This record gives sequence, C-alpha cells and structure tokens, in this order.
Amino acid sequence: MKWMPTCRNATELASRAMDERLPLSNRMALRLHLAICENCARFNRQLQEMRRLFREETAANGDAAGLAPEARRRIETELQKKLGS
Amino acid sequence: MSSLDAHTWLADHGDYLFRVARRQLHSDELAEDAVQETLLAAIEAQARYTGDASPRTWLTGILKHKIVDLIRRNVREVEIPRDEDGEEAVDSLFKQDGHWAEPLRPWGNPQTEAELGQLRRVLDECADRLKPVMAQVFSLREVAGMETEEICKELNITPTNCWVLLHRARLFMRQCLELNGFSKAGAA
Repeated sequence: MKWMPTCRNATELASRAMDERLPLSNRMALRLHLAICENCARFNRQLQEMRRLFREETAANGDAAGLAPEARRRIETELQKKLGS
Repeated sequence: MSSLDAHTWLADHGDYLFRVARRQLHSDELAEDAVQETLLAAIEAQARYTGDASPRTWLTGILKHKIVDLIRRNVREVEIPRDEDGEEAVDSLFKQDGHWAEPLRPWGNPQTEAELGQLRRVLDECADRLKPVMAQVFSLREVAGMETEEICKELNITPTNCWVLLHRARLFMRQCLELNGFSKAGAA
C-alpha cells in the first residue's frame, strides 16, 4: 500500500481494525487518512456506533416479534415428549 | 428442580430466546429450532444447573452454542461466495480512483426509546438483507461478539475470506441505514 491509502483502502483497514490489531504501518496509514478525510472518519465512527447498537443489552429488542403461537405449541409438545421419555 | 421447569422456561424466556436467536440467524424457522434445541438441551443439563446464574442467563449460554451449531450446519448448505460476489456493489460505492462516489451523510442521533427501537428494527432488517454467509459472519462478529479467528474455524473459511465478507457487510449495512433514513444532520 502506498503511504496514503485511498478511501476504499481506508474502509478496508477501518473494517479490519474492528476485528484485530493492525500492523503499525497500516495503523499509521489509517490514522493519517482519517485525520484528513471527513467521509472515512464518519465511516469509522458509524462502524463503531453500529457495533454498539447491536451489542447493547437491549439486544433482545423488546418490540420485535416473539415466538409465534404455533411454534410455541410445537416446542411445548417436543418438551413434553422429552420429559415423558 | 422439577421437570415442570422446562415449561416455565418456555413461558418466561421463550420470547427472549427467540429474539436473541432471530437476530443472529435471520430466519424465523431457524430461530424457533434454536429455542427448541436449547430447551431440550436444558432438560438434559438441568442437573448441572447450580442456580448461580439466573435461568435466563443460563439458558442464553446454552442458546449461544445452539446458534453456532445451526449456523455451521446451515452454512454448509449454502455456497461460500466467490471472491467477486458483492464486488460490484462495493465498486459502485467508490470512484475509479478509490474515493467515495457520494459523500457519507451523518446519522441522526436517536435519543428516545421509540427512535432507538425504530433504529434497531432497521438494523435488523438491513442485516436480514445481507447474503446468507455474509449475514452469518457479520452477526457472529457484531451481534454475538465472536473473534474472527473463531468464526473462521467454525465456518471453515479462510481469514481473508472472513475479512472480505465483513468489510462488504459493513459497507452494505452502513449504506442500508443511510437509505433508510438514519441520515439526519447531527451526531455520528
């Protein structure tokens, strides 16, 4: 990679940095790019925001639909079978 | 512990377990299977349940394993995308010279429970629209918080494939959120 990554490269680095520690040279290149590129800096913030939202304890989103009545009955029957055996 | 507990677990925690599973499996049927397998496994394991954790925490722990099992079985059935899959979609986001084709709009700053609820719904809908393998890798990483190394091993894909899938999934998710209205002037 050249000394200054393109936006496309920078998004790859920003994404990978969410998963593991980047080698020093990549880390420096990313930091430099984010310092001068508003779009990529925003991309980076939004990745972190997205993770925060997904991992929040309210993960089991209370407004989302729960088990369908048929599924509940089916599971109930399976549990009964298991307990009876 | 009485054998009636399994019915109580279903009544008290069934919806919760389903929502957790639904979010990671992107399918109602698979999520129902996950709940069923969790409760069946819980019946077998209940002698080992010490009561140190709440039933919900204990059941959620079992559920996590069942979700990974289901994803592993399911991913075997779908084809691992070829490298060029999704590349076109990525190409369309950038110009030839590697700059963004369109400026990124900031997301709004949802504060109220209603706004946050709406945002979570859109997040889930966008995640459901990812290609199957991409959705699984993304969810294991971002929702379940598994390490990429572990994900690669579980799904039997190379680390490079994993990073490519995650990068594409994140680009897609960000864009999907922007298109669905989380792009007001404000924070982030």
